[in-house]
Amino acid sequence: MGGRAAAGEVTVLNHSALPHTPAEAGTDSGTGVVAPSSAPPSSRAAAAPQAAAPQAAASGTAGASPAPDTPRPPRNGARAVALALTVPGQVVSLLVLVLPLLVALYMSFTDWSPTRGSLFDAEFVGFENYGELLVYDTRFIYAVLRTLCISVVCLALEFTFGLGLAVLFMREFRGKSLLFSAFLTPMMILPVVVGYIFWMLFQSNGPVNQVLELAFGAGASVEWFRGAPFAVLAVIITEVWHWTPLFFLILLSGLNSVPENPVRAAVILGASPRQVFWRVIMPMLKPVIIVAFVIRSMEIIKLFDEVFMLTRGGPGSSTETISLYIYKLAFNDFQLAYGAAAAFIVLIGSLVLVHLLLAPVRDQLLEGGRK
Amino acid sequence: MSTPKLELVSLRKEYDGGDVVAVDGIDLSVAPGETIALLGPSGCGKSTTLNMIVGLEEPSSGDIRIDGVSVVGVPAGRRNVGLVFQDYAVFTSMTVRGNLAFGLEVRRTPRAEIDRAVSEVAELLGMADRLDARARDLGGSELQRVAIGRTLVTRPSILLLDEPLSNLETAARLAMRQELRRLQHEIGLTIIYVTHDQVEALSLADRIAVMHAGRILQAERTQVICEQPGHVLVAGFLGSPPMNLVRGNLCAAESGTGQEGGGMSFRAPGFVLPMPETAGQGVPEGAYTLGIRAEALRLTRVGDAGVTGRVALVEPRGADSVLSVVVGREVLKVVTPAAEAPCEGQEVGLCVPAEALCLFDGDTNRRTAFCPRERA
Repeated sequence: MGGRAAAGEVTVLNHSALPHTPAEAGTDSGTGVVAPSSAPPSSRAAAAPQAAAPQAAASGTAGASPAPDTPRPPRNGARAVALALTVPGQVVSLLVLVLPLLVALYMSFTDWSPTRGSLFDAEFVGFENYGELLVYDTRFIYAVLRTLCISVVCLALEFTFGLGLAVLFMREFRGKSLLFSAFLTPMMILPVVVGYIFWMLFQSNGPVNQVLELAFGAGASVEWFRGAPFAVLAVIITEVWHWTPLFFLILLSGLNSVPENPVRAAVILGASPRQVFWRVIMPMLKPVIIVAFVIRSMEIIKLFDEVFMLTRGGPGSSTETISLYIYKLAFNDFQLAYGAAAAFIVLIGSLVLVHLLLAPVRDQLLEGGRK
Repeated sequence: MSTPKLELVSLRKEYDGGDVVAVDGIDLSVAPGETIALLGPSGCGKSTTLNMIVGLEEPSSGDIRIDGVSVVGVPAGRRNVGLVFQDYAVFTSMTVRGNLAFGLEVRRTPRAEIDRAVSEVAELLGMADRLDARARDLGGSELQRVAIGRTLVTRPSILLLDEPLSNLETAARLAMRQELRRLQHEIGLTIIYVTHDQVEALSLADRIAVMHAGRILQAERTQVICEQPGHVLVAGFLGSPPMNLVRGNLCAAESGTGQEGGGMSFRAPGFVLPMPETAGQGVPEGAYTLGIRAEALRLTRVGDAGVTGRVALVEPRGADSVLSVVVGREVLKVVTPAAEAPCEGQEVGLCVPAEALCLFDGDTNRRTAFCPRERA
């Protein structure tokens, strides 16, 4: 997250240095931040529509002088104001986001620990940390595999429930708007609070066990946090309860934007409701589904708060996720360099994963503006 | 006479518990192999009618019969009626082949038969070499072909086309219009064609049904409906420019107006038109709307004609020009050869031949028995 935000900020900084004319600033729709300070409101409004024409005309002949009706470049004073307003923010983000990232990258190639003096005195060990993690550190490898397993199960369940709810909400029924608000509530609660609530619910004499005993008799209660399968199950239940609403919301908005006529065309061609759903609606929903999966998988790979509140990774390391393991490495064992290497492995893994997930719809998502 | 392919009987569709009436009791009978155009402005109930025929909406009352059998209550996919949407509604996630095969696949037709039908239709539409293209990458007229082909594959007994050409550019529209005509002849389908473009209706349909506010005003053979519009609104809708319509009164000509022998004249504020000898006989005096065909009006010198006016606007159209001539409080459109067009502001006389006229009842807006052309 930090890395991406920083990248975004840096781009803005670059753009702020570029525009010499309001016309140029006008074409930078994404970074309009710069334009307001460099041009009065009226000329800004005028500049935007004109922007395309002179630029298009000039595009064939690089470096051609601007057309006579191009608005005058802003005075140096205005540019100074623009810089004065944007630079401090950029400097801060550089200091707190980009710099630490680079320091952490360097750190991951050393054997530094805060108990052993300055980082720059630490021995440079190259890829030793990475090799150790990927080959010998079974606890790390298991944490990765465990996180992946939990992620796959959680995402599958969240998607299924979310899609089911979204399809249900495409119909009219009583109390729909009330239920809509209710179903969205879980994802608005802080993860720590959710973790704490479920920790209490899953206590041996807690409500969950009481309900189980009521339903299935006295022997049905479960010691949720004593052993691996139930502890993992508790984590999964918590996570699914917490984040199904996000899938529900994204899929519902996707379903609502599915064009009506292809669906009607399929009905007229004789498709059953099931065929219409799977063969016509779902393919149209594919980009939305994949984006939902990307957003959620990035989040769930970082799964920390709920597990920390529920089990702290225990018993043993049976519910330890990657984030939890890295946290323990860094802040319990003070192996900051080793932890940094683990974090970078996860970062690279997530990048690859996200790109793989996006691959099937990449062209479709980037299509805008090409035709 | 054989059983009509499609019959609409007092078909009615209401929304919001009867507050909104989209289709207000229409009767229509379509013969097998006939192409009929439903023509009318937006919101006149054309598309609702199509939706009811195809089964996407159920009528509030009335009946729909295909081959003499009522299909009300039969689900959309079982009526064997095809519908091509205005926006094509092609399945963009599939290939052309996938689109064409869809209708048969969902009916669990054997694969060999599907392949045969798909290649047959692709051949017919000239898309045999595009079968593996993704529908997403197709252009407008190709999408149109896929949309039509996808329907044809299922061998519908009636094909409904909802403004199929309105999203195409002019050149593609002309080409597609010819294509549709060819298909019409080759397959001999019964086609119901919804459009608000009268040129399209005129060029493709055997009959035109003009709709307005949920009703069919007139359903007639293409040539007839233009010559003898049955209703003021039909007259005001068809033709380019449409017929001039003047509301006024028909009364016996006063003496001294040059009209002898009990001739009739048509009067509107600032507008007196002596009716031609052959016209107006057997029609009682009263309030009427007079229709005057723009193409049949002729310019003459001032003083030679009964009607004089001033040219307010000249709109050149190439070979001819459309004049707006102010006569009294009325503005009459006159089509004249471009070479003979007067200047704007010039006074002109208008010769009104009998065949230029049509008389509509002032109350019902229906055409009266009077119509010189019929007698001619």
